[in-house]
Amino acid sequence: MFEKLIDNSMAKSPWIFHINAGSCNGCDIELVSVLTPRYDAERLGFKLTGTPRQADIVVVSGPITVQTRDRLVRTLAQVPEPRVVVSLGSCPRSGNVFKGSYAIDGPLEKYTHVDVSVGGCTPKPEAIMAALAQAAQILAEKRKEMRK
Amino acid sequence: MENFPILAIMTLFVCAFIVSLVGRRNAVVRNVVVTIAVTVPLVMMLCLIPTVFIDGETIVYWLGNWAPEADWAIGICLEVDGLSLFFGLVVTVAVFVSGLYSFTYMNHDDSLVNYYTLFLMLSGSVLGLVLSGDLFNIFVMIEIMTFTAVALTAFRNTYEGALEGAFKYLAVGSLGSTCVLLGVAMLYSQLHTLNLAQVAALLSSQGTNPVTIAAFAFLFIGFGSKAFLFPFQPLAADAHAVAPASISLMISGVLTKCGVYGIIRLVYVLYQNYDQPIVQYLVTGFGAISMFVCVTMAFNQHNFKRLLAFHSISQVGYVITAVGLGSILGVGAGLYHAMNHTIFKGLLFLTAGAVQHQTGSLDLDRLGGLGKRMPKTCLLFLIGAASISGLPPFNGFASKWMIYQAAFLHGVTTGNFYFIFICVVALITSVLTLASFIKVAQSVFFGQLPEEYKDVEEVPLTMRLPMWVLAILCILTGLFPDFIQEKLLTPAVNAVFNVVGYIDTAMGTGYAAASGVTAAGIEGIAVTGTWSPTSWLMLLFCITCAVAIVFLLASPDDKQKGFPVSSADETAQPLDAKYEPFFSGEEAVYSQVGGSDLFWGFKHSWRRYFHFMHDWHSGIVNDYALYGAVAIAFVLLFCIVLL
Amino acid sequence: MNELLLNLFYVLVFPGLLFCILMGILLAGLDRVWVARMQRRVGPPLLQPWYDFLKCCGKETIVPRHAKKAVYFAAPVIGFVALMTISLFLPVVNGRAAFSGTADLVVILYLLTLVSVCMMVGASATGSPFAGVGLSREMVAMISYELPFVLVILAVSRATLSYDAGTGMPLTFSLQAIMEYQEANGPLITHWSLIPAAIAMLFVIPCEVGMHPFDVSEAETEICEGTLAEYSGPPLAVYKLTHMVKMYIMTALFCVLFLGGLTTGILFFDVVIFILVCALLTFVTMSLPHAVCARFKTEQVFKFYWTVVAGLAAVSMILVWLGL
Repeated sequence: MFEKLIDNSMAKSPWIFHINAGSCNGCDIELVSVLTPRYDAERLGFKLTGTPRQADIVVVSGPITVQTRDRLVRTLAQVPEPRVVVSLGSCPRSGNVFKGSYAIDGPLEKYTHVDVSVGGCTPKPEAIMAALAQAAQILAEKRKEMRK
Repeated sequence: MENFPILAIMTLFVCAFIVSLVGRRNAVVRNVVVTIAVTVPLVMMLCLIPTVFIDGETIVYWLGNWAPEADWAIGICLEVDGLSLFFGLVVTVAVFVSGLYSFTYMNHDDSLVNYYTLFLMLSGSVLGLVLSGDLFNIFVMIEIMTFTAVALTAFRNTYEGALEGAFKYLAVGSLGSTCVLLGVAMLYSQLHTLNLAQVAALLSSQGTNPVTIAAFAFLFIGFGSKAFLFPFQPLAADAHAVAPASISLMISGVLTKCGVYGIIRLVYVLYQNYDQPIVQYLVTGFGAISMFVCVTMAFNQHNFKRLLAFHSISQVGYVITAVGLGSILGVGAGLYHAMNHTIFKGLLFLTAGAVQHQTGSLDLDRLGGLGKRMPKTCLLFLIGAASISGLPPFNGFASKWMIYQAAFLHGVTTGNFYFIFICVVALITSVLTLASFIKVAQSVFFGQLPEEYKDVEEVPLTMRLPMWVLAILCILTGLFPDFIQEKLLTPAVNAVFNVVGYIDTAMGTGYAAASGVTAAGIEGIAVTGTWSPTSWLMLLFCITCAVAIVFLLASPDDKQKGFPVSSADETAQPLDAKYEPFFSGEEAVYSQVGGSDLFWGFKHSWRRYFHFMHDWHSGIVNDYALYGAVAIAFVLLFCIVLL
Repeated sequence: MNELLLNLFYVLVFPGLLFCILMGILLAGLDRVWVARMQRRVGPPLLQPWYDFLKCCGKETIVPRHAKKAVYFAAPVIGFVALMTISLFLPVVNGRAAFSGTADLVVILYLLTLVSVCMMVGASATGSPFAGVGLSREMVAMISYELPFVLVILAVSRATLSYDAGTGMPLTFSLQAIMEYQEANGPLITHWSLIPAAIAMLFVIPCEVGMHPFDVSEAETEICEGTLAEYSGPPLAVYKLTHMVKMYIMTALFCVLFLGGLTTGILFFDVVIFILVCALLTFVTMSLPHAVCARFKTEQVFKFYWTVVAGLAAVSMILVWLGL
C-alpha cells in the first residue's frame, strides 16, 4: 500500500555520511559549503548523519591511504541497503598527485561499486550538488530494484 | 481459626529444629520439611483473610490462656488485626518465595542445614513480630531476627567482606535493639504493663510524661534502625552485598518492613500522636532524608546487590514518609508501597542472585550483555526495574502515585510548605531511581558480552519460578489498584485508625472508652487523583492494534524484500563487519560503557556532595555506631524538647 | 455502539493517532523550514519529516551482533504507543479530554518518562558504546528537566486547586480541574505569579523533546547520533516519528497548562487556533534556540535547568503557595 510512497520518498530524503579516506581536507570543506545558505542542499532533503547505519549516500573523499583502507571497507559494509557511493574529487578515482605512492592503495573502485563520481581538485560546489542529486535518483532506482 | 497465628509461628520455629535434626541425613527430607514450613504459614495467613479483612474482626490469642485479670494483661498475647495480617501476608509470601528459590540457588554451598535452620528461625521471628500483641515479645523477636540475620549475612564467609558486614550489622544492630529494650523498659516502668492494647489505653488515659516521650524516641529510633533508616543505611549496604540473594530478599523485603510495622504501631496505635505536626516532621523528615541520600548513594555503587540495598532503604524511605503524613491516604499509600517494595525488590534481588549464580560476579563494571545469554532473567529484571522506577502500569507507579497525592494533599490541607517540599523530593528521587536502574540494565543485561561470560546459561526453571511469582504479583498489583485498595488496604488502614477496636478486643469492651481513646476506624480510602491502569492498557492495546494493522497493510507480499531485516544470527559470519557495532571504522573490540562511567554530567555537577558522602560512608564500624548514637541523641532531644 | 465508535474515533483519528502524527509532521516540518529561514536558507519542503519517515521505512534494518533483538525492535514501538496515549488525556480542544477518567498530570509526567526510558533501553540493547554514552546523556538531560517540570506541575496544581462537588475532597493534579479553573478565571499565563512557571515550562519543552541546543543525547558529530547510533530502517523511522509527535504533545501540554479556557465556541476555529498556537510555541521554544544556540555540554544542561529554570519554577511555586 505504501510501497509507492516509500519509493517516491527515497529520492527526497537522502542522508549523507562522509568518509575522509586521507583527503587533504579541500573536498571536505567544499562538501560542507554545499550545506551553507548559498547552495543549501537541505532544500533537496539532504542531511549529514553521524553514523553509517542511518546513511543513504556515502561520500568518499581522499586517495584511500593504507591507513584508512580497512576503516573505509568496514564502514561501507555497515551502511544498510539501498545505498549509493559517491566519490568526491579526483583522489578516490585516480589517486591524483599521490598516485604511485607507497602509502596509497586506491582507487575506490577496488573496494566498492562507485555510483557517482565527481572530478576536480577540488570539485565546485555546483558539481557536488549535481552529483548528489543524481545519487538521490540512483538511490530511488536501487530501492525499486531491491523490491523486485 | 484463632489458633492459626500461633500455629503459623510455631510451624516455622518447630520446623527449624526438625530441619537441624533430620536434615543432615537426607537432603530430600530437609527440602520437604522446609517446603512445608514455608507453605503452611502462608496458607494459614490466607485462611485468616475472610475473618480479619472481610468481617473486620481482630483475633486475640492468649498464650497459655492467660487472659487479662481485673483489667491487667499479664499474659503474652498474639493480636491479629488488619495491619498485622497485612504485614503477615507480606512476610509469608516473601518467606515462601525465598524458601523455594533457596533450593536451587544454594546448591553450590555446603552446611545447608545451618542455612535452613537459621532461615526458618528468621522467618518465624519476623512473623512473630508482626503478629505479636506484646511489647516485650516484639523485642525478643527483634533480637532473634537480628542475630539470625547476622549469622545468615556471614553464611558465605568465604566472600570478601562477609564477616565484616556481619560484624557491622551485629554491632550497630545491637544499638538499635538496645534502644527498643530501653524504650520497652521505660514504658513498663511507667505503665506496669507490656500488652500493646493496654499500653495504648493507659498512654491515652494518663497522658504523656517525659519518660514516655523518651520511650517514644527510643522506640522510634530502634524500629528505624531495623528499617535501616538514614544514619543506619551503611549497614544494609554492607550486609546485602555479601548475603545470599534469598537472604537479601528477606532483609530488604521483610526485616525492613518490621521496622515500618513497628513505627506504624508506635505512632498510630500506642501513642496516637500522628496528628501532631512535630511527629509528622520527625517521621517524614527521616523518611525523606533516607529516600534521597540512599538513592544518590545507589548512583555510585559498583556492586549489583549493594546498589539494590541502597535502593531498598530509599524505597522504605518512601513508605516512612507516606506513613508519617498522618493522613488516611498517606497510610494507605505507605502500606501499598511497603507491599509493592517487598514484591519488586524481592524480584530484583532474585535476579541479582540469578546473575551471581550463573556468572559468579556482581561487579557492574565487569558484567555486560547477559540479556543475550539469560533472556528470561533479563525480562524479569526489566519488570522489576520498571516497577521500582515507577513506570506505569507497574505496581511501583501505582503506590508512588498515591504517595505524591497524599503528600500534596496533606500540604494543601495543612497549608504547610514542608510537605510540598517532601513531594518534590519524592518525585526527584523517583527519577534518580530510574537512572540507577538504567545503569544496571546497561551494565548487566545490555551492552556487549564479555568474552569470559560467553557460555553463561539461563538459570533453571526452579529458580525462575519464584521470580515469576513475584513478577506476576508486580503486574497484578499494579494493574488493579482499586481492587487492592478495597480488599487489602482499606481493612489494614482501618485497623491502623481503629484503636478502640484494637484495645477492646484485647481488654474487653468498654476499656478503650474508659481510657478516653476515641479513634474508631475509617470509612475507606478516598483517592483524589485519576489513574486507571486497565483503561490505559485498553487504549494502549487499541493503538498498538491500529499501528500493527497499518504495518500489515503496508507490508508487501515478500516481507524480506519490503522490510528487509538482517541480523548476525542468520548469516552466522562471526566477523562480518556489517554486524559489528560502529566504531568510527575501527575494528570492533570489546567495549562496554560500564556502570561507573554513566551519568557523568550529573555526577560532575554534584561532585562535592558525592565526595562528602563518600567520606561519610567510611566503612569503619566505630563511625557508624557514632552516627547511630548521634541519631539517638537527636531524636531524644527533638522529642523531649518539642513534644 | 455509538459510544464505541466515538471512542474509536477519539483513539484513532482525533485527538489520537492520526491527528497526533499529522501535527507532529507539521510542527517538525515548520521547525526545519523556520530554522532554515533564520539562517537565510530556502530550507526543505514542509513535508520533509514525512519523507524522512517513509525513507527510513524503506531501508534495510541491520541488527548489530551484540544487540538483543527483541528489545531492539520492541523499544521504539512501545515508546511510540505510550506517547500516543498521552494525547488522549490532554483536554486540548473544547476543554475536554477524550478519556479524562484514565490519567492525571502525574501520570502524564511518568508516561513521558516511559517514552524516554524506551529510547534509552533500546539504545542500551544495541550494545554500541556510542549508544551507551548517548543514553547516559539522555538520562542526565532527563534528570535536568524533571525538577523544573515537577515544580511547574505542583505550582499549577496548587494554583488551580478545586474541590470535588460530591465528596468535598480536593482534586489533585487533575487536568480537568485545571481547564475548568482557566475557563472560569482566564488562562493561567495571565496570572502574574505563574509567569515564571510558564517561562520555565517553555524551557522544559525543548529539552524534553530533545531539540537542538539540548539534544546532548543525539549529538551527531560527537557521539555518532548517540542513542540512535545503531538504529536503521523502520525502528529508526518509529523513533523519528516519536520525536515529531513529542513536539506536538509538549506544546499541547503547555497550551493545556497555561493557555487553557480560551474558546470561540466554534469547534473548527478552536482547532485552527490551537494548531496556530502550537506552531507559535514550536517557533519560540524550538526553532529559535535551534537557530541561535550551539549545543550545550551535558553538565551545562544540568546546571542551567537545576539553577535558572528550576529557580523560575520555584519562585512561581512559592508565590502561588503564599496565595498571590
